Amino acid sequence: MRAVIAEDLALLRDGLTRLLRDNGIDVIAAVDNPTDLITTVEREQPEIAIVDIRLPPTFRDEGLRAAIELRQSAPETSILVVSQYVERSYAAELLADGRGGIGYLLKDRIFDVAAFVDSVRRVAAGGTALDPEVVAQLVSRRRPGGALDRLTPREQEVLALMAEGKSNAGLAEKLVLSTGAIEKHIANIFTKLDLVASSNEHRRVLAVLAHLNSQANDI
Amino acid sequence: MGEVSTDPRVHLKRRQLFRLHTAISGGLAVVLLIIWVVTSGPFSYPWPEWPILFFAMALAVHRLFLVVFENPGRWMKRRMTTGFALHLGVALILSAMVTAIWVFAGRGYFWPVWPILSFAIALAIHWLYVLSRRIEHLEVRRSDAVEMQQSDLSRIERDLHDGAQARLVALGMNLGMAEQKFATDPDGARLLVSEAREGVGDALKELRDLVRGIRPPVLADRGLEAAISSLVDRSPITVHVASHITSRPTEPVETAAYFVVAEALTNAAKHARANRIDVLLNRTDNTLQVEVTDDGRGGADVAGHGLRGLRRRVEALDGHLFVASPAGGPTVIRAELPCGQ
Repeated sequence: MRAVIAEDLALLRDGLTRLLRDNGIDVIAAVDNPTDLITTVEREQPEIAIVDIRLPPTFRDEGLRAAIELRQSAPETSILVVSQYVERSYAAELLADGRGGIGYLLKDRIFDVAAFVDSVRRVAAGGTALDPEVVAQLVSRRRPGGALDRLTPREQEVLALMAEGKSNAGLAEKLVLSTGAIEKHIANIFTKLDLVASSNEHRRVLAVLAHLNSQANDI
Repeated sequence: MGEVSTDPRVHLKRRQLFRLHTAISGGLAVVLLIIWVVTSGPFSYPWPEWPILFFAMALAVHRLFLVVFENPGRWMKRRMTTGFALHLGVALILSAMVTAIWVFAGRGYFWPVWPILSFAIALAIHWLYVLSRRIEHLEVRRSDAVEMQQSDLSRIERDLHDGAQARLVALGMNLGMAEQKFATDPDGARLLVSEAREGVGDALKELRDLVRGIRPPVLADRGLEAAISSLVDRSPITVHVASHITSRPTEPVETAAYFVVAEALTNAAKHARANRIDVLLNRTDNTLQVEVTDDGRGGADVAGHGLRGLRRRVEALDGHLFVASPAGGPTVIRAELPCGQ
């Protein structure tokens, strides 16, 4: 798998490059600014670009803006945005086009190397990876008496992990349940939230995220 | 709240009273003029000029009070106090009156120069007093601002020292021990390393919270409305935001407004037992108004650390902070921050 990294701090850029290479991911370029990121990705069409939000020249949200631009100009490349802080509104912007192949994680998540590499592979394959902190904000911002309140505590747990982008197998492992039991919970969630179920795991996650986002924005 | 009433009904009553006063004075003047013409003819000495002059003066003073107290903010903006505005008005009316008396008394030597000069001297002294009070006020605010900056820095220093720095020390110790154990006790070493990893996560979280308390990144990135909606995302209470901001205010004003909302939301969640919070942002030509209302039980401690810090922050920018929190609620915190175009 080919990846491009955009990170302005050399220490972190080199560390991330080494970490990914150690895990069998081919880092073809590591750049430190949004302009190079966009030209490299458009030219090389890697499976994934890992982008820091804070990039020069103003060190504000250039990385995020570049990521959103790349969603349009290089739709074949998945994007994983990493940052020192997460904001629900930024996640909403990244998810706005309703397509998969997108991730948004705190840099802290890199420490759990196996889980992080798993997220990178999942996003590269068209899945999603959303930071638990964003998911917690999404789930907590709900209308009292709304559809989410109809879910059982177990279903809410499944919903939150799904929103993070975990696969059914990942969910089963985390909750110590059989995949059959997970499938049943997911079917219940989709019925209660009035969502159209799909056999595709990624598409189901996107449906859940779209639902959570619209709930959060309504308030 | 330290404000002069701006109830529109009161205004209306005051204006009606003034209109009545004008009508009575006018009526009396007409009656006097008729008496004068009927009794001694239009070419005799016009004695009604004297009572009419006093009617006019009474009306002018009445009008002056109306203008001065109707909109006290107007004087503040021109660096005037209400007292000085009143003094200036009275001096102008008296000057006009002595000049009229001089005209009625057959002119000649312009003696009103002396009373007018004394009015001017009194005004100048009053103006100097107003200025010196303003300087005193600014000096207090400046030292407050410096003190606030100092206490903020000490807090940050303490937070770093007790938080992230201490965690890094513990981490270094963990890693050092792990290094020793690698050869003899690989399982123990692995445990220490994974503890160290968790420690890094905690240190990062602390640093993130600290940064958010200094100046949240989203405020710099996307402005006040985005930063407030980020606060709302993290609030356990339902918050409704109504925003009328046409253009971004300056950075210090944005930051102060952000912390007014942040502090108010924290207080409402921590102490007020509120169910609903309303945030109102309003930008006029030269002020940013921020108002946070919660339906909690009221009784906020105005002299407490949080609100005192806010007041200093707002006043350092020449703004005003109003807090109303009667027992039983609701609590209203309003900041008015001057901001240029």
